[in-house]
Amino acid sequence: MTPPLQHGTFPLQRWRMLLKRFGWALFTILFVVVLNFFLFRVLPGDPARQGIRDPRLTPETIQAIRVRFGLDKPIINCFESLNPVKVGSCGVNPLDTQFFIYVKNLLKGDLGQSFYYNRPVKDILGERLWNTILLIGAGQILAILIGVVFGLFAAWKARTAIDYAALISGLVAWSLPTFWLAIILLFWGTNHGLPIGGKATPGMSSYPFMQQMGDLLQHLFLPTLAYTIIYMGEYMLIMRSSLLDVLAEDYILAAKAKGLSAFQILKDHALKNSMLPLVTLIAINLGFTVGGAVQIETVFSWPGLGGAIFEAVGRKDYPLLQGGFLLIAISVILANFIADLTYSYLDPRVQAD
Amino acid sequence: MNLTPIVNKTNSQVSVFWKSLRRNPMGLVGLAMLIAILAVAVFAPLIAPVHTAEITSKDIYNAPNSTHWLGTDDAGNDVLANFILGSRVSLIVGFFAAFISIVIGGLIGIIAGFYGGRVENTLMRITDIMLVIPDLPLMVVIIALTKPSLFNIIFVIGIFGWTTTARVVRSQTLAVKSRKFVLRARAIGAGNMHIIRHHILPLVLPILVVQAVLTVSSAILNESTLSFLGLGDPTAPSWGQMLNFAFSRGAMSTGAWWALVVPGFGIVWVVLGLTLFGQGLEQVLNPRLDTHHLMPGRPVVQSETAQLPSSEKILLDVRNLSINYINDDKAPARAVENVSFTLKEGELIGLVGESGCGKTTLMLALLRLLPAAGQIVNGKVFFNGKDLTALNEDEINAVRWKEISIVFQGAMNALNPVRTVGDQIAEAIIKHMPGFPHDLRLQERVVELLELVGIAADHKDHYPHQYSGGMRQRAMIAMALACNPQVIIADEPTTALDVMIQAQILELLDSLRKKLGLAIIFVTHDLGVVAEMCDHVLVMYGGVTAEYADVDTIYNEARHPYTQELLKAFPDLTKPKKKLSSIPGYPPRLDALPAGCRFAPRCPRVYARCHTEQPILYKLSDNHIASCHLLEASK
Amino acid sequence: MDAIHTFLEVKDLKTRFHTPEGTVYAVNGVSFTLKEGETLAVVGESGCGKSVTMMSILRLISIPPGEIVSGEVTYRDRNLLKLSESEMEHVRGKEVAMIFQDPMTSLNPVLTVGRQLTETLRTHTNMDEEQSRQRAVTLLEWVGIPDAGKRLTDYPHQFSGGMRQRVMIAMALACTPSLLIADEPTTALDVTIQAQIIELVKKLKQDVGMAMIWITHDLGVVAGIADRVIVMYAGFIVEEAEVDDLYDSPLHPYTTALLQALPRADRRRDKNLKSIQGVPPNLLAEPRGCPFAPRCEFVKERCVNENPLLIETENRHKVACWVNVKTGALR
Repeated sequence: MTPPLQHGTFPLQRWRMLLKRFGWALFTILFVVVLNFFLFRVLPGDPARQGIRDPRLTPETIQAIRVRFGLDKPIINCFESLNPVKVGSCGVNPLDTQFFIYVKNLLKGDLGQSFYYNRPVKDILGERLWNTILLIGAGQILAILIGVVFGLFAAWKARTAIDYAALISGLVAWSLPTFWLAIILLFWGTNHGLPIGGKATPGMSSYPFMQQMGDLLQHLFLPTLAYTIIYMGEYMLIMRSSLLDVLAEDYILAAKAKGLSAFQILKDHALKNSMLPLVTLIAINLGFTVGGAVQIETVFSWPGLGGAIFEAVGRKDYPLLQGGFLLIAISVILANFIADLTYSYLDPRVQAD
Repeated sequence: MNLTPIVNKTNSQVSVFWKSLRRNPMGLVGLAMLIAILAVAVFAPLIAPVHTAEITSKDIYNAPNSTHWLGTDDAGNDVLANFILGSRVSLIVGFFAAFISIVIGGLIGIIAGFYGGRVENTLMRITDIMLVIPDLPLMVVIIALTKPSLFNIIFVIGIFGWTTTARVVRSQTLAVKSRKFVLRARAIGAGNMHIIRHHILPLVLPILVVQAVLTVSSAILNESTLSFLGLGDPTAPSWGQMLNFAFSRGAMSTGAWWALVVPGFGIVWVVLGLTLFGQGLEQVLNPRLDTHHLMPGRPVVQSETAQLPSSEKILLDVRNLSINYINDDKAPARAVENVSFTLKEGELIGLVGESGCGKTTLMLALLRLLPAAGQIVNGKVFFNGKDLTALNEDEINAVRWKEISIVFQGAMNALNPVRTVGDQIAEAIIKHMPGFPHDLRLQERVVELLELVGIAADHKDHYPHQYSGGMRQRAMIAMALACNPQVIIADEPTTALDVMIQAQILELLDSLRKKLGLAIIFVTHDLGVVAEMCDHVLVMYGGVTAEYADVDTIYNEARHPYTQELLKAFPDLTKPKKKLSSIPGYPPRLDALPAGCRFAPRCPRVYARCHTEQPILYKLSDNHIASCHLLEASK
Repeated sequence: MDAIHTFLEVKDLKTRFHTPEGTVYAVNGVSFTLKEGETLAVVGESGCGKSVTMMSILRLISIPPGEIVSGEVTYRDRNLLKLSESEMEHVRGKEVAMIFQDPMTSLNPVLTVGRQLTETLRTHTNMDEEQSRQRAVTLLEWVGIPDAGKRLTDYPHQFSGGMRQRVMIAMALACTPSLLIADEPTTALDVTIQAQIIELVKKLKQDVGMAMIWITHDLGVVAGIADRVIVMYAGFIVEEAEVDDLYDSPLHPYTTALLQALPRADRRRDKNLKSIQGVPPNLLAEPRGCPFAPRCEFVKERCVNENPLLIETENRHKVACWVNVKTGALR
């Protein structure tokens, strides 16, 4: 119905769209912040009572603890009487509620104090985050390389033995429960001298650097292997089906008619087009696994973010949970945004929303 | 999404579906795996081994033996029994949770896709937020803080599983909604509800089914993960829980591999079965062409054909070319049979015929661009004396584009959407003209080519989607000229274009012919164009040559009945009120060719012999051949 | 107004589309009338607004992004643009039917042809299952599909292109409408099939006595079927005439260019006539002046500034042009 653009009014629109998306990302972060706060207040169980489940504590002590952690303040203006609209009318200073204190602290970068560790949540999460990144960084890179290469060959040599082998192994890898693969690998690994878990052998820090690195690699090996196998399957399948679609397009025939060799066609015409869906997937995966490496971290006792969350759940360590959750959500949102950015950069057809 | 079922004789949509599924090995294997495990779950109480003996501490982690085929676990229970009973929990949670997800996702998807506007925006924003919130940690948190009951788990997994379904259903609804038949339904006065029920739903259902299968598998994975993390319902032991107990109670250290492998194996079996079945379903419902353009072609069947004695400057000499399409389970389709023609420098030959007559196949074969199923089974193509059918891939690559280039039918898609048009034109020059400098002069040459076809210089760095359809077609022509070929094959280059632009392009081609001595093969069904432009005309029908002569002869002395009828069917501006003669019937399908002459079923002058014997090509004069039995007498 | 009851009258119809790139001025003040039983051809190239005009008449434009800005469409004394959606649904298919270009995409691939044929009947009449089935068979026979009874349970892909278009015609005529709008019905078909369809439509029109609007870009086809012709360019009507008049003496430079651009059997090597360069204007700008001015060989200053109105010259031949192409001077 509408005639196509005949001039490039293009970049301006692109910026407008990106700004819109960025705004949306910010809004989502805001939403998550609010959700995060209420989630842990609304779920059953008085945080104070849960946080210090010691039956010997007297009511006075409990109250003192509550004051210390700011749990004696009203959650939000008139929340208790479920009447948030009438601001100021319950005689409560809105800025003195838990919610606003929470937001205020967030803006200062203060994520609170862990009930369990009695250390700032920020510090704990920082250490754990770095460990997780180390783990998934290596794993993702390997998974991408292997997945893309196998997917490419599978699609190129479609309907041959290579294709069927790649397809089946990709499907099997994709069907494996992550934690189970981790268990099996761990079982096999420990029977062959690999460490049973953790990030480093106790006492390693007193050894020279090279040996520390070697030790780290030993500990990193199995979790990375598990991670790689799982994601490699997914990437291979997506790459294969994407490339199959691309190779059936008319412009590939046109490229062939131009006298380009198969290698040239793959390199100059097919690769970029088929990688588009993959790029988005990779970015999103990266975002998710910041927190979603729970399974691998649990099995291998790897001190990462996902494991921290899981432990905090068991210990009802709310501040840590809250902080960790927020961190994960923000990283996912940012990863999505970066995925959008990258995709719109790579695909010139993407214009306004 | 292509939902045309594979053509066969039965009418029922469902039976067509089953037939296709039967031919799909992945789908079948997956289905078999699922049926097996479902049988186990259904008959669980009947088949699980029962051990009445009292359990003592000696029974803990026993390796597989004759009493306990798969060994015992940390509490001395039989692993096999637990495995069989545990299947029920895993499957029940999986199915019910998936059911919740599918219903929510399907409803949201259809409503958002169909109604659009504010409704769609709101629903999609909600979906986006849900997508962004990390599932597993939140599920972990919610279940840990509430009560880990079966109901809770089903509910939580269900609530988090609908986002992908919603997105997929919405895209499909949008795609269906914009299809012509929905417009047509509205044009006959159908209301929204009718359209949703009768037109949208049937085309969304298949995708929903595929999604359902995938959702079940992810629900089962989620359940097992949650159970493994200790959040399962303790009263309903599932495979995940078996693994939880095993892992946290020393199965690793005691080397009790059976306690770890068996439950996991169950999960893998179900999920793999679902995945295979889902993939199979997807292939059946959304048949992707199982060939692509980089698949190796079939070897040319070498024949003893000789070329014409080169008295004049013959550029292209096609001799007795026959091309088949090989089908796995049927006889090959004889797409082109025994076609010959020649092309001299500066000559323009029109290749005329209707859909399915083989003209495109013939053109592709000249440059050895046939799809994987195509094969040259006889004849030769001589270009400047060189036999193109005997060349290998590298050798033919040197000929492609540099000597002979092609403008495809429907050039809309012949340009790579993620590269600029200028880039793609330059690519041809770089490949075939190695001496050409890769600097500003290359860009100038590209601009020169674009301006030749009437495209302004500033469009050089634009992408194909920024060009209109007509511009893309012209860009293809510019690209075809880039390496100064001797021959251009133009396959219906102006069919989709408006008449004014068509006129411009025809003028351009004609002037190039005069200026550069370019020889052109012009494939078309428009007799007016043929009359205006061509020197010689080859009329094809059903894969064979009907008539081949110079253009005046064709117009004034056509001898083949098809040519005669074609001329009568074509609206002629000089005689606007002339009743258009139409040929009853339809062109033959190439996989169901009639026994004798291919035009016999529709020929107004058919007689008995035509049905049984294919006519040979009769030479009526030096420049005129036609294949009709009626011409035997006039030889 | 004519004594004859005005069947369809379109007055100053304006339709626009609001897109991210701007407003597309698709139809810019189109007016024409149609008598009962008359066949009108609407001719023009892609983007000239011919389809949008017809879709606006039947209110099939998606709103948003489309908007019928102003105008009146009087069908049998009712203004179609003012009817409610449910009243329109009663008009569509029953009084005014429409068929589209590509029959393959106009048919739902997963429903049988019989289902889709009886759909119209079930929407507008009280026929039961059996009655509508009978009627469907009759319709298929009417359009020349052999073995009609068995074919009802076939799917669209089991029909060839020409047969599908016949099915479309059958569907359109199911409730014997008074007006059939055909949007490029033969463009996607082979030339021998095209001939069949054209002859079929002509015959049916005679039998049913319906009026017809035939949209096409192919001037060659128009000559054989239409009584009158409208030529459109950039959302305007530039010429309107009885069909013989148009071919014998076109008054608008665009019409002349169109006729010249047609490849013709009798003009084989006569290349004295050069085709007009350039492309139709970008519809994103509000039209000012005559839209054809940039490409017109007769252009005058007035043409650039003022859009000519459609005025009648002699024997119901209307043209929107400031210049008399025979003399080259202003009118």
